[in-house]
Amino acid sequence: MSMSWLFGSSSSASSTTPASTSSTNDNNNNDSLKQSLGFDPAQVTDVSNILKTPGLFDSARLHPLAGLDKGIEYLDLEDEQLNNVEGSQGIIPSRSWSDDLCYGTGAVYLLGLGFGGLYGAQEGFKNIPKGAPAKLQLNTILNHITKRGPFLGNSSGVIAMTYNIIDSTLDAIRGKHDDFNSLGAGALAGALFRSSAGIKPMFISSVLATGAAGIWCGAKRYLQY
Amino acid sequence: MSADHTRDPCPIVILNDFGGAFAMGAIGGTVWHGIKGFRNSPYGERFIGASAAVRARAPVVGGNFGVWGGLFSTFDCTVKAVRKREDAWNAVIAGFFTGGALAIRGGWRHTRNSAITCACLLGVFEGVGMMMQRVMAQPAVAPVYPDEQPLAA
Repeated sequence: MSMSWLFGSSSSASSTTPASTSSTNDNNNNDSLKQSLGFDPAQVTDVSNILKTPGLFDSARLHPLAGLDKGIEYLDLEDEQLNNVEGSQGIIPSRSWSDDLCYGTGAVYLLGLGFGGLYGAQEGFKNIPKGAPAKLQLNTILNHITKRGPFLGNSSGVIAMTYNIIDSTLDAIRGKHDDFNSLGAGALAGALFRSSAGIKPMFISSVLATGAAGIWCGAKRYLQY
Repeated sequence: MSADHTRDPCPIVILNDFGGAFAMGAIGGTVWHGIKGFRNSPYGERFIGASAAVRARAPVVGGNFGVWGGLFSTFDCTVKAVRKREDAWNAVIAGFFTGGALAIRGGWRHTRNSAITCACLLGVFEGVGMMMQRVMAQPAVAPVYPDEQPLAA
């Protein structure tokens, strides 16, 4: 990719010089100009001549971060760098803890919403009143979906958010990321989620969340390699 | 040329926006309903009341924010794909569809009004954003020099 778009393409730029208006008039013009000016205007270095120099805007010689030879890549980061905590490179390239948080929360929330919605949908299909008009049938299903979907989505989203915040905090404290961080973050997030319900529910929730974090660690490994 | 590299490309950014909006809503809802629950509880039960309010309402606020942000991002990507350009109208059109989609169960009039309100809101956001950009891009004003005294002849 040349930079000619910035300065106008080289052909149009050269057409503005008196030397190359058209092929037949060219020589006559040149000769008369040479006569009147006392030098050959075609030999003068002007902007269009500089722009036509081969290799001037060779993309390979530009700064490597410009990346002009490959177009815009999936993540063409200018200022932002990828997350450089050791071992933190996940499936989706992430720049920092906030990217981890957003993607993790969003994915788990959508999963919860989807599964809750599906569960609500089948519940709604079961509970359609007999002989009801179509509008009422549709409303029954939608009511069941919105009863189940957002509840499961919200709960799982909150757990995922807590998990990601704790996980990133542990990463920052320990200076690296490994499975122990994930498991510990899962345990803490699960415990915190049910912390108001008593010791036993807290323990159960903690164990479940640790298990989910462990499954995620395994899945990540499977997906990455 | 001026692509915003702090945001990811289109289909995947929906997930990011979903999570970001959800986190914003949930954390903001925790603060909001924490204070509200604290103030609305009798003395001696203020922290219990705050905790109960947060547990009951913060996830819902998060969910509402998340659904709005995710839907908006989805529509924004769709509009970008259809129009094949990036300008302020994308956000306005996406806001129109988002408002409409969220209110679609309330009937035709509600859907229409909500869509128009949402589009106007996004239009105002975009307009304010452009104005801010213009203010920030103001060139530095040349320093004012005192009037030159005529040279003594």
